[in-house]
Amino acid sequence: MIIFGRNVRLEQRMTTPSYLLAVVPLASVLFALLVGAVFLAATGHPPIRTYLDLLDNGYTSFYGITDTLGLATPLVCTGLAAAFAFRMNLYSIGQEGQLYLGMIGGTWAGIVLADSLPGFIAVPAVLIVGAIAGALWVLVPALLRARLGTSEIVSTLLLNYVALNLVNYFIFGSTGFFRDPTTSFPQGRSVSENARLSPLSFFTEKVTNTYPTFFIAVALAIFLFWFMRASNYGYETSVYADSPNTARYAGMSSTWLQTSVLLVSGALAGVGGATYVVGPAGKVDPGLLQIGLGYAGIVVAALARYNFLAVVLAAVLFAGLRTGGNALQASSDPVPIAIAVVLQGAVLLFALGGELFRRNRIVISRVERAVAS
Amino acid sequence: MNSNIWLLTFADAISIATTLILASLGAIITERSGVINLGVEGMLLMGAVTGFLVADASGNLWLALFVAVLVGVVLGSVHAALTVGLRANQIVSGLAMVIFGTGLSQYIGKPIEGNPRPVVINPLDLGWLTDLPFVGPVVFGHDIFTYATWLLAAGTSFYLHRTRPGLVLRATGDAPATVDAQGGSVARIRWGHTVVGGAMMSFAGAWYMFARAAAWSQAATTNGIGWIALALVVFASWRPLRAIGGAVLFGFSLQVPFTLQAEQIDLLPPTIVAMFPYVVTLVVLVLLSTPRARRLLGAPKMLGQPFVRDER
Repeated sequence: MIIFGRNVRLEQRMTTPSYLLAVVPLASVLFALLVGAVFLAATGHPPIRTYLDLLDNGYTSFYGITDTLGLATPLVCTGLAAAFAFRMNLYSIGQEGQLYLGMIGGTWAGIVLADSLPGFIAVPAVLIVGAIAGALWVLVPALLRARLGTSEIVSTLLLNYVALNLVNYFIFGSTGFFRDPTTSFPQGRSVSENARLSPLSFFTEKVTNTYPTFFIAVALAIFLFWFMRASNYGYETSVYADSPNTARYAGMSSTWLQTSVLLVSGALAGVGGATYVVGPAGKVDPGLLQIGLGYAGIVVAALARYNFLAVVLAAVLFAGLRTGGNALQASSDPVPIAIAVVLQGAVLLFALGGELFRRNRIVISRVERAVAS
Repeated sequence: MNSNIWLLTFADAISIATTLILASLGAIITERSGVINLGVEGMLLMGAVTGFLVADASGNLWLALFVAVLVGVVLGSVHAALTVGLRANQIVSGLAMVIFGTGLSQYIGKPIEGNPRPVVINPLDLGWLTDLPFVGPVVFGHDIFTYATWLLAAGTSFYLHRTRPGLVLRATGDAPATVDAQGGSVARIRWGHTVVGGAMMSFAGAWYMFARAAAWSQAATTNGIGWIALALVVFASWRPLRAIGGAVLFGFSLQVPFTLQAEQIDLLPPTIVAMFPYVVTLVVLVLLSTPRARRLLGAPKMLGQPFVRDER
């Protein structure tokens, strides 16, 4: 390609310089903030002041950062779920629905099982049942993908809408098991107190929105990071991701790998929904439907380049956009919360574009002119 | 239960199918070039909201539709720039378009949340044709864009299968290296069709806003129609004319919950009935995945694969 009289072309890098691993995501965030600033300015909100407010309400104030860590808890889980599937080239976008099912399954366990169990068993029971529910929700797409090759993209997505209506059915459409029987107001039935954790106070007297489940999510990320590097299973999935044919020649079962990866991904998203039960909600809460943590998990995973440890950082970053955005919406000069979603989408778009610079370098040279003889 | 309401449901199904056909035609030509664009839902929403805002300000339907098409061109260009120009992962880029489009349409649509549409696309009055029993309301009771969409599907089919650029387009999706060796520009063909496809998706959203949706609502305006359009592409096996039949089937499944509610037929709670279109789409997808059906399909062979000449 010739630009301004210079020959510009891309050359594949053999190795990626380590500084680019940090520069590309940071630059993506910066460019996304610029795009957001255009829309803020166009709608009459001063961009710099808005961003400073966002920073304060999302990250730097005490309640800001604790709210952010609380919201980041399920987001780490959905981010891990997306990363786990995407790195195997399985593009499951059903984290949203699996998250809801995790909440439903966790609540079921919290109501039925928890009364008879002490707290240190009841809480894990809720999380595990949530994980199972999330995995079951992806079972059909997983089997279809592994057995028949049905695109998991559309099948998992369609089930999100089914899950959404399922939550609505339990709370608004029926007076069944999950509905609070003591009031006619449509709300969920609370789980037993044994199955709840109390929020962290971070050595202060204040009540925050961060729950100990945040550290469970972080521990999951660390475990996955280690396990997928150290284990045979992790090796097999990465061989399969690079070249399904090589994996088949080596005797690995693609059916097993595809099914198991999708099921684990569903379970991770399910845990995210269950942390919502153990922590802030304590019941099937339709409020979860409004936040879009499942879709945001995909953005988090992509920004983290499917690295499990980086997912935690990206999730905290994104949760902060959301909590900061909430505060802006409630302020005297309300900025619609959707600005947080705009920023998320823009970050992902720029991060994708930035991939090119990680994999290639730009070589600019003089245009060689043929000399007339 | 009266039979009239089912007649109207059928007519509505054909009407809703217009959006599905337009969006899936856009997706078909994009995918035929070898680029997969999952951003349909985001493009529908952006077309709907910008169309609404322009119509609100100007009162001019045609200007609104024109701006919606322009927005589609811009969004299609972004997707093309990322996937063709920068060789980014097409699936993730498409998802980014959904998230970005959803967020932006909510942001700029905040002031008009819940407002009724400022202009309405009305069905044509075709005189005695519209008054015919059964056939009248079902076939001759639609607006001009519905008929134009059928013609567009036929035209796209002709373009794909009977013209030289169409042949090159199909080759670009199946064997880009061959097109490149013949001196064609794979990048230019992919860019062009991704942009035109984006424009069609965005137009589909604007049409839906003015013809079908009563009011702008950030949560419920498109309600997953974009994803159903993507399933429709598979259903139609990447052939434009087959998309019409599939669109009517999916349109019917989208309309049935409303009819049941209007008729107060409560076999099942409305929240369960609301799952119907998605479950139908899923079942159809599954049926299409059986080995027997797959042989009849014809996905572009290099769908989703970036083309890099140097790497060969």
